[in-house]
Amino acid sequence: MLGEFDLEIPDSIEEALELLAADDAPAPLAGGTNMLVDMRAGGTRPERVVSLARLEGVRWIAERDGRIAVGGGTTVSDLLQDERIAEHGASLVGAARVFAGQMVRNTATVAGNVAYGSPAADLVPPLMALDAGVTLMSKSASRTVPLADYFTGYRQTVRKPDELIAEISWPKRGAGMADLFYKLARRKGDAITVTGVAVSLALAGGKCAGVRIALGAVAPVVMRARKAEAMLDGQAPDAALIEAAARQAAQECDPIDDVRASAEYRRHTVHMLVRRLVGQAVEHLR
Amino acid sequence: MTQQSPANVEFRQVGKALTRTDAPGKTTGRTPYAGDYAMPGMLHAKVLRAPAASARLKRIDASKARALEGVACVLTGPDLPDRLAPTDIPGQTGQKRMDTGQPILVRDRVRYFGEPLALIAAETRDIAEKAMELIDYELEPVPGVYDPEAALRPGAPIVQGKDNVVASQKMRKGDIGKGFAAADLIVESTYTSQFIEHAFLEPEVGLAWVDENEVINIRVATQVIEHFRGIADAIGVPHNKVRIRGAMVGGGFGGKEDVTVETYLAVLAKHTMRPVRLEFTREDSFLGHGKRHPFRMTYKTGVKKDGTITALEVRMLADAGAYVFLSPYVLLYAAVAAPGPYRVDNLFVDGKAVATNNMFTSAFRGFGGAQACIAYEQQMDEVAAALGMDRIEFRRRNYLKTGEMLATGVPIQSAVWTEECVDRAMAALGAPSEAPHPAARIGRGVAAYQQSYGRITWLHDTSECWVGVEVDGTVVVRSGVTDIGAGQISALGQIAAELLGVGLDDVVIYNSDSAVTPLAGTTTATRALYMTGNACRMAAATLRERLVERAAASFGVAPGDVDMAGNRAFVIGRPDTSMPFVDLVKLCAADGVHRSELAIFRAPFTDPIDPETGQGQVHPDYTYGAHAVEVAVDIETGEVTVLKSIGAHDVGQAINPAAVEGQIEGGAAQGQGYALSEEMLYEEGRLVTPSFSEYLMPTSMDMPLVQSIILESRSGLGPFGAKGIGEPSLTPVAPAIANAVADAIGTRVFELPITPERVVNAIGEKQGVQT
Ligand SMILES: Cc1cc2nc3c(=O)[nH]c(=O)nc-3n(C[C@H](O)[C@H](O)[C@H](O)COP(=O)(O)OP(=O)(O)OC[C@H]3O[C@@H](n4cnc5c(N)ncnc54)[C@H](O)[C@@H]3O)c2cc1C
Repeated sequence: MLGEFDLEIPDSIEEALELLAADDAPAPLAGGTNMLVDMRAGGTRPERVVSLARLEGVRWIAERDGRIAVGGGTTVSDLLQDERIAEHGASLVGAARVFAGQMVRNTATVAGNVAYGSPAADLVPPLMALDAGVTLMSKSASRTVPLADYFTGYRQTVRKPDELIAEISWPKRGAGMADLFYKLARRKGDAITVTGVAVSLALAGGKCAGVRIALGAVAPVVMRARKAEAMLDGQAPDAALIEAAARQAAQECDPIDDVRASAEYRRHTVHMLVRRLVGQAVEHLR
Repeated sequence: MTQQSPANVEFRQVGKALTRTDAPGKTTGRTPYAGDYAMPGMLHAKVLRAPAASARLKRIDASKARALEGVACVLTGPDLPDRLAPTDIPGQTGQKRMDTGQPILVRDRVRYFGEPLALIAAETRDIAEKAMELIDYELEPVPGVYDPEAALRPGAPIVQGKDNVVASQKMRKGDIGKGFAAADLIVESTYTSQFIEHAFLEPEVGLAWVDENEVINIRVATQVIEHFRGIADAIGVPHNKVRIRGAMVGGGFGGKEDVTVETYLAVLAKHTMRPVRLEFTREDSFLGHGKRHPFRMTYKTGVKKDGTITALEVRMLADAGAYVFLSPYVLLYAAVAAPGPYRVDNLFVDGKAVATNNMFTSAFRGFGGAQACIAYEQQMDEVAAALGMDRIEFRRRNYLKTGEMLATGVPIQSAVWTEECVDRAMAALGAPSEAPHPAARIGRGVAAYQQSYGRITWLHDTSECWVGVEVDGTVVVRSGVTDIGAGQISALGQIAAELLGVGLDDVVIYNSDSAVTPLAGTTTATRALYMTGNACRMAAATLRERLVERAAASFGVAPGDVDMAGNRAFVIGRPDTSMPFVDLVKLCAADGVHRSELAIFRAPFTDPIDPETGQGQVHPDYTYGAHAVEVAVDIETGEVTVLKSIGAHDVGQAINPAAVEGQIEGGAAQGQGYALSEEMLYEEGRLVTPSFSEYLMPTSMDMPLVQSIILESRSGLGPFGAKGIGEPSLTPVAPAIANAVADAIGTRVFELPITPERVVNAIGEKQGVQT
């Protein structure tokens, strides 16, 4: 049972932000594919819910100022149908393709995926590797936070109760760059990620540049393997270096044991998948 | 995709993939399931479950809950008569096994996580839920035991009986000492299988009311309407005062074989004298019905260099969980199945089912036979590898053949087409797939099986069916059989239509009412078609005789010269000497010819087997077949992808090949989950996979296109030579996948499910050994 709550259904962002500014800090509800599940299980019991379902102007994809921007209400399915995303976010498309199942993809939003703060959120590693920023908007202000700084702890984020995720954006990608994502899960549809790895890098003059390795479900938050990135940046990537960087990534992560897999296995798969994805990226660019 | 052979040449209705009688209602949503029924003034029920696996109930106080407005009734253990929940198999002979005495509600001892403490009936579901929170109780932890091996150790906490052993089963044949002495090679391995969940689409649900005759009516989703007797005994009313009215069932797989919501509904309706509805949530369902028994199976096989098996010693340990339920029978099936479809002259099987404080375990498609297959088919591959012999060739040298004796010392009743099935399934795998990426390895596996259809023969199983012809030439079939989605009732329609020469559209079937449809027995044990199909065939055949005789009189020929087809009766070879079926029926009506027939079919009746040797008849007959798969294994991450999945089964005679295909495809999916991803995990008895986000059945993304190869020996004991396919189609799938994974990675994961992590560990161990 969902319990009892008041449901507000505003039509505009302004109205929604006004409602969120109230002292009782109502919970925003987008696709509901995280929140309703939690409410039914008794995990969250909000007294007031602000539905974002009817908001105008939150579901869009744009290209501006050298960036690709996605409105918070954009669904995972939307990501699969946009050429700009395909061109400038191949890893994000990769994540959207293995995200949940068709029904959930049709309703799950990008903002909801980020805002929920799960370390297993599949859109987050690719977005983080793409250097995405999160634009938070409140009744009175707007700010943009690097996604890499957005999560402060397990299911903890910098978002204040009166803020909404209005958009997520990242610099356009170009020639010589590769973006890859791999979701390892216990089955192929509708499964919670055991290990998620996103790799973005460029190859310039035979050397790696702008290396980003983002890891999902192997730490309390989606994290970047910064030491592994540093080992590759500016270097000519041969098999030994890639192997060493992959081992480093496995050391940097901080997984737990749960019903899906052990920490040890997660670490092993970070090693295997970082090696595989960096290898594929380099091979693709050569 | 289906291949059927030999081609159907004899029949007009049977053997054809006709649109099932239940299809239109289901596709348009007109078919009501048990959960769709409501009544005026109906109450809503909830079950309060113990949040501990092993505890003493020190006190329970429902006064606050009873005082809540809108609460009609709260029942706790002390409120119920001193009777036990019906947990034994329903049988016509009053066959009894050790009873472990589960009270309907906990009286003093909680033995498993989720055991029911109280029942609530209220005006709304919300009120019932609130009332649940107001029930005050105190549980005192009691040391529990959560592993069957630990439960056998001296000093272990006692869950049931004097030593936790709830059943033992022996099989003895020949002399294994001599057999092993004659062996050139002995291979010993241990295989384990896990708790799994039936996960039917429709959780348990029902609606009960007391009618004007004081009969407690229960509309419920069940495989077994004949539990009405056990329910009546449990609540202390005569058998004729409980009536079960079934409905189309949204999946059973053995999980609706035991009583689920019925007893709760009956006591609540009796106490309140109002209609009461109880619907399990998925969480209730996970906690509320028995799971598949985990088995630990040690196989020691002696073989000669030429591949002849000289001896087999098997030890089986099954986790029965907290109450007995059907454990002794599941263990019996496993022991009988232990050698598989192979000739083993020197056999020794010792099995035990042991009580623990885990969830109780009971029926699940395959019923012990599936667990045995997991062991015997993996063992066949292990032995072949040790011999350096091709896996198929090794099997070929040991297959049981038509006309030979079963390991239980009785002759096989029907054709044994194991070899044909294995060969056809393997051939259908075709050319090996390319590895999809550099870390992928392709592997193939096959498993053959022997799985019974029909119930244990000392249960003296019977089934009744009534067939009648209306004066307008339409046909009515009445049978108590429950249809759990496999097309059980539609098959009866095809059988009646075949014999009466009408179309399936001309037949209406009434089923699943314990008071007004002839009792047909359970829809379990792959028996519905065999038993009820035969009863229907007998009734329709008798009717046919009468009709043909009347037609022959009209035509002035002998009855043997008359046939009926296409809604006409005619003289064979003289199609213009004919009359419409409806006219014939009218003639019969005018003459007072009896236009209906109630038939009873009896399975073979035997005495129980010798408990010391396991020798004697256990089942009416067996189905034989095979499943073959091809997999790709990622050797870095351990992920397994099933690329091809092919079931080849001798079903005797397919009554409806599309329904057979449905069983093979469903079996392929359920078996794939069993092999790779499904597991009910308990920590100290507490379920840690309480939802579908942890309990992982294959999705459409995980399933390859399944190919069904239907072979028809027409040698079965069912109608028109049919065997059964419901359980058999599942049985070989998991071991086939296990064998394919082992083939791909060159080492074996001995535990199910074969998770990516276990694959990686097995590869790591192999490399560790090599370096
Ligand atoms: C069957 C199933 C399968 C799933 N599979 C996957 C999967 O494969 N990968 C994956 O990553 N996830 C998966 N999920 C989880 C979920 O679908 C995603 O996280 C989804 O993106 C959440 O989006 P939503 O719009 O449904 O969010 P909601 O559930 O509506 O909200 C989630 C959280 O975000 C907050 N929120 C929503 N919108 C905003 C906003 N604009 N600003 C601020 N806060 C906001 C809400 O308050 C809430 O705390 C699955 C869920 C289900 C039920």
